[in-house]
Amino acid sequence: MRSDLTNDIIRLTGEHLSLVGISMALAILLGVPLGIVVARHPASRRWLLGLSSIVQTIPSLALFGFLIPIPFIGGIGTRTVIIALVLYALLPILRNTFVGILSVDPAVCDSAIAMGMTDGQLLRQVQLPLAARTIIAGIRVATVTTIGTATIAAAIGGGGLGVFIFRGVASVDTAQILAGAIPAAAIALLADGGLGWLERRLSPA
Amino acid sequence: MPLVEFRNVSYDIAGKRILSDFNLSVEAGETLVLLGRSGSGKSTALKLTNGMLFPTEGQVLVEGQSTREWDPIKLKRHIGYVIQDVGLFPHFNVARNIGLVPRLEGWIEADIERRVNHLLDKVGMPASEFRTRQPRELSGGQRQRVGVARALAADPPLLLFDEPFGALDPVTRLELQKQFLELHRDFKKTSIFVTHDVREAIRLGSRIALLVRGTVEIVSNPAEFQLAHGGEARAFLACL
Amino acid sequence: MAGTKTFAGVVALLALCGCSKPGTNRPIRVGSKNFTEQVVLGEIVAQHLEHRLHRSVERSLNLGGTLLAHQALLSGQIDLYPEYTGTALAAVLKDSIETDPSSVLARVRSEYDRRFHADWLDPLGIDDTFAMVVNGPQARAQHLETLTDASKAPDAWTLGVGYEFEQRADGLPALEKTYSLRWKAAPKTMDLGLLYKAMEQGQVTMIAANSTDGMLSKMDLKVLRDDRHAFPPYQVCIVARQDTMRETPGLRETLLELSGKFTNQQMQNLNFQVDAQHRPVAQVAAEFLRQAGLN
Repeated sequence: MRSDLTNDIIRLTGEHLSLVGISMALAILLGVPLGIVVARHPASRRWLLGLSSIVQTIPSLALFGFLIPIPFIGGIGTRTVIIALVLYALLPILRNTFVGILSVDPAVCDSAIAMGMTDGQLLRQVQLPLAARTIIAGIRVATVTTIGTATIAAAIGGGGLGVFIFRGVASVDTAQILAGAIPAAAIALLADGGLGWLERRLSPA
Repeated sequence: MPLVEFRNVSYDIAGKRILSDFNLSVEAGETLVLLGRSGSGKSTALKLTNGMLFPTEGQVLVEGQSTREWDPIKLKRHIGYVIQDVGLFPHFNVARNIGLVPRLEGWIEADIERRVNHLLDKVGMPASEFRTRQPRELSGGQRQRVGVARALAADPPLLLFDEPFGALDPVTRLELQKQFLELHRDFKKTSIFVTHDVREAIRLGSRIALLVRGTVEIVSNPAEFQLAHGGEARAFLACL
Repeated sequence: MAGTKTFAGVVALLALCGCSKPGTNRPIRVGSKNFTEQVVLGEIVAQHLEHRLHRSVERSLNLGGTLLAHQALLSGQIDLYPEYTGTALAAVLKDSIETDPSSVLARVRSEYDRRFHADWLDPLGIDDTFAMVVNGPQARAQHLETLTDASKAPDAWTLGVGYEFEQRADGLPALEKTYSLRWKAAPKTMDLGLLYKAMEQGQVTMIAANSTDGMLSKMDLKVLRDDRHAFPPYQVCIVARQDTMRETPGLRETLLELSGKFTNQQMQNLNFQVDAQHRPVAQVAAEFLRQAGLN
C-alpha cells in the first residue's frame, strides 16, 4: 500500500531541509570570503556583483533547466538543485558581507591600521565582528528565499516538499498542495525568526 | 639625531599637491605642534610619519630610517596615534581597547592588566570603575582619555595627535589639555600634535610649526611665535 | 433614432463580450496536458480546425495535469482536449479498473454524457498505456520480458515517476497490487520529460513512462509487458463539451475526421521528432496533417 501521508511529509520535509541546509552551507562558505574579496578589491566589485546579479534575474525553473544538460554538474537530481540554489543564495550573502565590512566606522578602521593591525587581524578582530549583524541579515534573506525556491527541485527529481505541490497541482488536490506548502512556510518562518534573533543578539555598540 | 625628519617631502593625491618641499625635524622629548588651516596638509604630515602614507618625493625618516624601509607593522606599533573621532572599537570594553597593542605584541595577560589599570588612573579614570565599561557608555571626553591611554599602552617613543580635542566642549577641552601636559611631564614622550586652534598650540607646544598650503612658513617656540610677522601667523594670532 | 442607436450599441457590446456563445464567432479553445504527446495532438487538432472551419482557435496547451485539464473543460475555459479512456476511468471517475477496451470506452462515454455533458469522439487509433521501462542491457542479461519477470529480479528497483503516477489508482497502486516488485527506496518524482534523462544518468533503474514515448526508440530500453493486466487500456479520444459542438456548426464532423487516422507507431514517431530531433511542434503537426491528406 502507499505509505501514510504523515510518513511522506516527514520524509519530504527531511529531504527539503537537507537540500536547503547543504545549499546554504556552501553559499556561506563561498559568499562570505567572496564578499571579503570584493570589500578589499574595488576592482572586482563590478564583475563579481554583476555576475551574481545576473544569476538572480534568471527565473528559478529556467536556471534548473539550463543546468540539466551540462556534464558533471548538471543532470537530474539533487546535485543540480544544490548548484542552482547556491547560485541564487550567493548574491544576498556576498552583497551583505561587503556592505557590512565597508560600513564599519572608518575611524575604527583607521585606528586599527594605525595601531599596527595586520590585514588579517583587522578582518578577524574588527571588521567581521562589526559586520556580523549585516552578514547574518543577508544569510537570513538568502535562507528564506532558498526554502521557497527549493520547492521547484521536485520538477527535476530533486525531491523535497515541492513533490506534494506539483502532485497536488497535477491532480487538483488541495490537500496535497497544502501538505507541501504548509511545512515549507513553517520552515521559512522558523528560519526567519531564528536568524532574526541571532541578528539582534549580535548587535554591538 | 632627530626622532622624526621630513626631508624635501612632497605629497600628491588625485593630481593635487598637498605638501610641497616640506622640511621639518622633531627632536626627542618635544611636543611639536603643527598649526594650520583646514587643508594645509597637517593630517597628511602625520600619516606620512607612521607610514599610513608614503611621500611622492623626498623621504620621511623615523629614528634615522626611511619609512619605506621600516617594516610597516613594526613602524605603526612603534608610534601611538590619537584621532578626533577616537575610533575605539565599539565591541571591546575599555580595558580591551586600551590593551590592544600590548596584546598584539604578545605581552602576558598580567602585564597587560597592570599597564591598563595604571594608564586609566593616569588619565583620571579610576580603573575599578572604568575597566569594564563599553565605549558607548562614556562621554566624549572620557572616550578621548581612553584613546590617549590606548596610544600610550605599548609605551611607544612617539605619539601622533590629530586634532584630538576638536570635537569636545571648551571646558572638557581645557581639562584634557591639562591632562596632556601632565602626561607629557610624566612619560617624557615625543609628540607631534596637529591643531587649528592657536590657543591650544601655544598652550601645549614646545615648538609650533605653521603650515600654509603644504609648506612650513615658520617654526618657533610659543613665545617667539606670538611676535611673528608673517601674514598667516598674524592671521592666527588675531584669533587669540 | 436614439433608441435604435442604443439598441445597436448594446448588441455590439454583447457581441464583444468574451462570454458570448460559440455560435457567434468566438474562438474555439483547444486544450492539452503538459507532455509531448498531448501537446502534439492538441496542435494537430487546433490546426485541423483552423483549416476546415476557418475559425480562430485558442490554444491552452501544456495544462499541468489530468485533473487540471478536466476542470478547465468543465468550467468552459477549454472546449475540448485529448484524453485517455483508462485515465478518465481511474483518475476522473475513480471507477475500478477494467481491461476490455470497448467496455472502458462505453463506460466513460456514458458517465461523461450524464455527469459532465461532454462527448468522447471516436478513438484516434492510439493506445498509450503506462509503460514500465528498464535498461536494455539489464533486461537482456536478466532475461526480463514481463513485469512478473521484473518482480523476480535479484536487485530491488529504483523507480522514477511523473507527478500523477504515485497517486492515481491506475498508477503505482495498480502496479503494486498486481506485481510484487521490490523497491530500493521511495520513488523519485520529476517532470515527465526528464524521466529518460534520469534513466540515462543511472539515477533510476525503472521508469513509469508511456508506451508511445519518442525517446523509447532513441535509447536502448526495454518496455516490460503488463502480463497480468494491471493497467486499463488508454485509448486516445477527443473529449468535447456538448454545448460547444451544438453551437458550432461543423465542429463534430471535423473532429470525427481525425478518428482512426493514427497508429501507435505514428504517434511514437511524432513524439520522437519533437523529443529527440527537437523539431517544432507546429511543424510536426502540419506535416502530419499533410501526409494524412487532411488539409
